[in-house]
Amino acid sequence: MREILNRFFGSRGASKDDAKQRLKFLLIHDQVDLTPAQLEAMKAEILEVVCRYLDVDPQETVFRLERLQDKVALVSSVPVRRVTERTVHQSARA
Amino acid sequence: MSECIVITSGKGGVGKTTATANVGLALAMSGQRVAVLDADIGLRNLDVILGLENRIVYDLVHVVEGECRLKQALIKDKRVEGLHLLPAAQTRDKNAVTPDQMRRLVAQLKETFDYVLVDCPAGIEQGFRNSVAGADRALIVTTPEVSAIRDADRIIGLVEAAELPEPHLVINRYRSNMVRSGDMLSREDILEILAIPLVGIVPESEEIIIHANRGQPAVLDPESKVGEAYRRIARRLQGEKDIPFVALETSPGFWTSVKRWMGFGAAREVAS
Repeated sequence: MREILNRFFGSRGASKDDAKQRLKFLLIHDQVDLTPAQLEAMKAEILEVVCRYLDVDPQETVFRLERLQDKVALVSSVPVRRVTERTVHQSARA
Repeated sequence: MSECIVITSGKGGVGKTTATANVGLALAMSGQRVAVLDADIGLRNLDVILGLENRIVYDLVHVVEGECRLKQALIKDKRVEGLHLLPAAQTRDKNAVTPDQMRRLVAQLKETFDYVLVDCPAGIEQGFRNSVAGADRALIVTTPEVSAIRDADRIIGLVEAAELPEPHLVINRYRSNMVRSGDMLSREDILEILAIPLVGIVPESEEIIIHANRGQPAVLDPESKVGEAYRRIARRLQGEKDIPFVALETSPGFWTSVKRWMGFGAAREVAS
């Protein structure tokens, strides 16, 4: 609503939203203490393991660090296209 | 029961010393016996903000090293009954004092005073460790900026690691008009990120420079909005609840005025 009003009255986008986004990102990374490159490597490795069991869509896969109160959580969304034969085979055995 | 409160922030230049001076004076004006202690050894400033720089004879390091008695080093403010300053040494550094010595010093001050306020230096090293050593709780000062809030978050973690109770937050240099136009982080934004109880919001004001020039903190001026914000912080620290925030009252925008007129009163927050 405010954004619409701002646009209507010709002001720029709310710069505080940038501030908030940057802050959230900073605080997570201060706490986790991993470089962006290390995070990318971690994502690739997780995905590699998941792919051994499930047929997933890497393009749609999301890994994100989120702050929940005073804890950091790794939140991921990995869309599965179909369960691979190997998984079916393993669950049949179990 | 007396209490020692450390005023800290991590980042420099956010207003710790000004906050210490004003809260100390406001507490003294409400009848408390208060000692303000400058823990920024080597870069003392609290004496200047209070306008007491010409009366320093002994300092904190003299007391700790036994060169004078505590009473000799304390400077009594002549404007407000009950306020005393223990200045920092200017020619020494932070390592001149240990956390144990600070703990003993604060314990000694608490025998005489209701409140001992410690003005913590910027940073997270020895000066910070000295400042929190004798403290019962902490007041974190921040401004609505990314860098200041990031450092405040770090300091909150260190305060918890020092086993102090959950600290309280003071937001300094708040500009309601910029918050309304979306160009400054709002109180809600800051509290969402830092998640500690709020004890005060101090509006940005040019007058603070004039107060600093004269060595006359804002609380000494009954007309000052900044002074009123600090008086309310002092009241909240003494346990008073349901006091509205000055910074949110100043110059309401058009829609706020309309909303108030229509009966949607300004929200009143409770400092816990």
